[in-house]
Amino acid sequence: MPLRIANQVRRGPAVTLWVDGQALDAFAGESLAAALLAAGRRALRQSSRAGTPRGVFCMMGACQECLVRVDGKRALACQVAVCDGMRVETGAAG
Amino acid sequence: MAQIPVGEPYDAAVVGAGVMGATTALFLARGGMRCALIDAGGVCREASGVNAGTLTLHMTRAALIPYAMRGWEMWKAAPDWLGGDPGVTVTDGLSLAFTAQEAALLEARVEARRAQGAPIEIIATSRARAIEPGLTDRFRLAAHCPMDGYVTANLTGMAYRRALVEAGVRLYENAPVTGIEAGDGGFRLAMAGAAPRARRLVLASGVWLEEMLAWFGLRIRIKALVNQLIVTERLRPVMRSVLGVASGLLSLKQFANGTVLIGGGWQGKGDRARRTTEIVPDNLIGNLRLARYVVPALAETRIVRSWLGFEAETDDALPIAGPLGGIPEAYVIGCVHSGYMSGPYFGRLLAQNILGQAPELPLFDADRLLVAPSCT
Amino acid sequence: MTRDPEILILGAGPAGLGAALALATCGVEALIVDSGSAAGGQVYRPLPGAFEPGDASGLGPDYREGERQRRLLADSGAGTAFGRLVWSIGTDLRVDALGPEGPESWRPKGIVAAAGATERVVPFPGWTLPGVMGLAAATILLKSQCVLPGERVLVAGCGPLLFAVANAIRKGGGQVVAVADLAGPGAWLHALPALLGQPRDLLRGASWMARLRAQGVPLLFRHGVREARAAGAGLEVSLGAVDAAGRPIPSASEKTLEADSLVVGHGLIPATEAVRLLGAEVVFDADAGGWVPRLDRDQRSSRAGLYAAGDGAGVRGAAAAFLAGRIAGMTAALDLGRIDAGHHARATAPLRRRLARARRFGRAMARLMAQRPGQVDGIAGDTVVCRCEDVTRAEVEAALERGAADVNQLKSWTRCGMGPCQGRMCGDTVGQIVAARTGSREAAGAWTARAPLRPLGVDALAGDFDYADIPLPAAAPL
Repeated sequence: MPLRIANQVRRGPAVTLWVDGQALDAFAGESLAAALLAAGRRALRQSSRAGTPRGVFCMMGACQECLVRVDGKRALACQVAVCDGMRVETGAAG
Repeated sequence: MAQIPVGEPYDAAVVGAGVMGATTALFLARGGMRCALIDAGGVCREASGVNAGTLTLHMTRAALIPYAMRGWEMWKAAPDWLGGDPGVTVTDGLSLAFTAQEAALLEARVEARRAQGAPIEIIATSRARAIEPGLTDRFRLAAHCPMDGYVTANLTGMAYRRALVEAGVRLYENAPVTGIEAGDGGFRLAMAGAAPRARRLVLASGVWLEEMLAWFGLRIRIKALVNQLIVTERLRPVMRSVLGVASGLLSLKQFANGTVLIGGGWQGKGDRARRTTEIVPDNLIGNLRLARYVVPALAETRIVRSWLGFEAETDDALPIAGPLGGIPEAYVIGCVHSGYMSGPYFGRLLAQNILGQAPELPLFDADRLLVAPSCT
Repeated sequence: MTRDPEILILGAGPAGLGAALALATCGVEALIVDSGSAAGGQVYRPLPGAFEPGDASGLGPDYREGERQRRLLADSGAGTAFGRLVWSIGTDLRVDALGPEGPESWRPKGIVAAAGATERVVPFPGWTLPGVMGLAAATILLKSQCVLPGERVLVAGCGPLLFAVANAIRKGGGQVVAVADLAGPGAWLHALPALLGQPRDLLRGASWMARLRAQGVPLLFRHGVREARAAGAGLEVSLGAVDAAGRPIPSASEKTLEADSLVVGHGLIPATEAVRLLGAEVVFDADAGGWVPRLDRDQRSSRAGLYAAGDGAGVRGAAAAFLAGRIAGMTAALDLGRIDAGHHARATAPLRRRLARARRFGRAMARLMAQRPGQVDGIAGDTVVCRCEDVTRAEVEAALERGAADVNQLKSWTRCGMGPCQGRMCGDTVGQIVAARTGSREAAGAWTARAPLRPLGVDALAGDFDYADIPLPAAAPL
């Protein structure tokens, strides 16, 4: 089942991101965290000491759990709006 | 913990539980004295707990090199005499010059430090890069010292506290001393809720020494430097040595956990009386730029926190350590440039002196710094 | 760099907006600074720029109120600086931010702190798993992104967000596996007299609960999450009964449910970093969410030139935030000498009356989601407390055993709170654990606030520069 809720909004234009080298469809302007969740990509990094998987937790830029690399720079997925061709590297294992 | 009969004075009271005061107390206790260690806060929670933890001769004042080298040996052997694990790491230390002027400064400083016995040498730039592959290639000159490294300063207090308790030192924490009275056969300390007496007094209160010395009518100007530090989040290993620059304005290291600590004595603002400090944003950015210039890979990380600590400095930037002239059985210790590195040695030296042993190296008389009382 | 405003407002939620509107009516140049892309804060969060509302009724009243507030702000003439992360505030009131064009700074004459709140999630085994997220996170996903937090979602915790989120998931077409509320159904009744002051909000709350019940969603009162485990692509979550203090009842049987996602929250914590950075006095008020600035009745902090309003000054909800923000703005204008005391009194009197009512409601809501004493007690030793540094409760207790006397000493010894979230996620829990030894939250202390207020990219902050651009101080003595 798609996680994007229908009818409430008209989303931005469809775009393609590259997440760990794989294409991922999203809509321009939506939060990268939301786009990743909607695509079922929940583990975004491993914790620094114990190496356990982590994903989106607070959505407001506080918890730092959704830290990924966007076009080569460290960024919080929940604070980044997606655009076409964006390259995202997660720190998830595998 | 030693049982002190009510009213029985301590053999020694040490005021200030930084590295110098705590080491003094530790060795006095081990030398058989009943010792009290008193601090307005906790053990090693001011400069001794918040400094960069750098163990380097590249930043040590030439006159203090012999002390710092012995301090380095003590830190290296910390598990033997201190116990606990304050995270001591021995590694190479490099000091760099980027301009012709800095190269001249570096050469002169290397020479002066070598003259005092520091094993520092100017090395080829290619060798510097072999020692530290994370280094920029934009430097002109480098000096190397194998006697370098760092301590995880935030763990200092934990290690010292345990050692002090085990040695039977009576700790008074969060106990600001508001006055000291010298009387027959000793000293009485005014504190909220307690008034311990001691036959001997050691003042080791860092930037707050000026105020305490004044209680005895001794006026010595002690400047409070407010050093800023910055730490990054964890990142992949990007460096393995301790990096500095000729002017002494950078200390850079990466801990085993991946965080990089950026220091070098860039100044913040602070008020020692109110114990408040704050960063100067332009100085934070300047320090960060210098660090990023030296290790380009730092561009990929984020800074997570900054903090500040008070460093005490006398008029001649040399220590005060030894008996306080004119006041029998009173001693002072502090204002040691690169004091964290040399601190344990200075503390042991003073303890030896108090215990009547012949000190290995000379102490630093406070009298030279006495200023005439003002007319006000 | 924009010109220095007279008053700088930190945060563009309802409180900041209220302050901006009030200042505008007094002719004071105000600048509202926020990390988001538009005003609204968390409650009235805007849609992403490229989105257009479709069926606006589906977006709900908060969306419409947010649109109204954004229009008011645009019409007010107040300056705005969005996409800026404020990272330093000096006691000289210099404010430093990092924005899309790099570092910026301002020197206002006064600051209104309106930083809002972060969410409290009291740790349980498995709370770090992907698929577990905050109620506030789910709210943002649902309301601003129009994305469900999962297909089958378990909603747990306490407070009004529980039922709001569960209802929004249902409305968006998702399945709510169950709602587990730490409170008993009686707790809502206790709050009723205060809630009656805001009948519209009360009705919304009551209708959420009734609708969920009618739809057959299991509502488990006095239940909390015992543990979450990864199970295939989803989660397996054990729930159990808790006592009135939020403490798990060991003898009670566990109920295990499967879900894609677990959405869990235990209330809100005021964001006071800016206030503490400036050294303004803070007091601990559990019913207001935690540490809050001490304010006078006109929203002045103990530090001259610093005002605070909204959830960042004590959790009281969006309606109270907007009103308190307006009072803060009027007071700042008064202190600048732009209006006289009479004007201030006349303008604030009606606001105060409405604020008193909104606060009664907000306080009742905040009580429902205040930390319960037994919640932290019940955290097992091997549970991670500090997410960033993976520090467990047992490690925290060991450091306390060794003599760590307050939260900052504990942090030095364990790295708990030293990671990139800067202690925001663990601070409240750790404060409570330390307080169990020291006797009070006051004695346990609060994290020392320091710049940067959020992690900052070295590259972005350092900018493009040559060696000559590094402002090197004089060399240290030889």
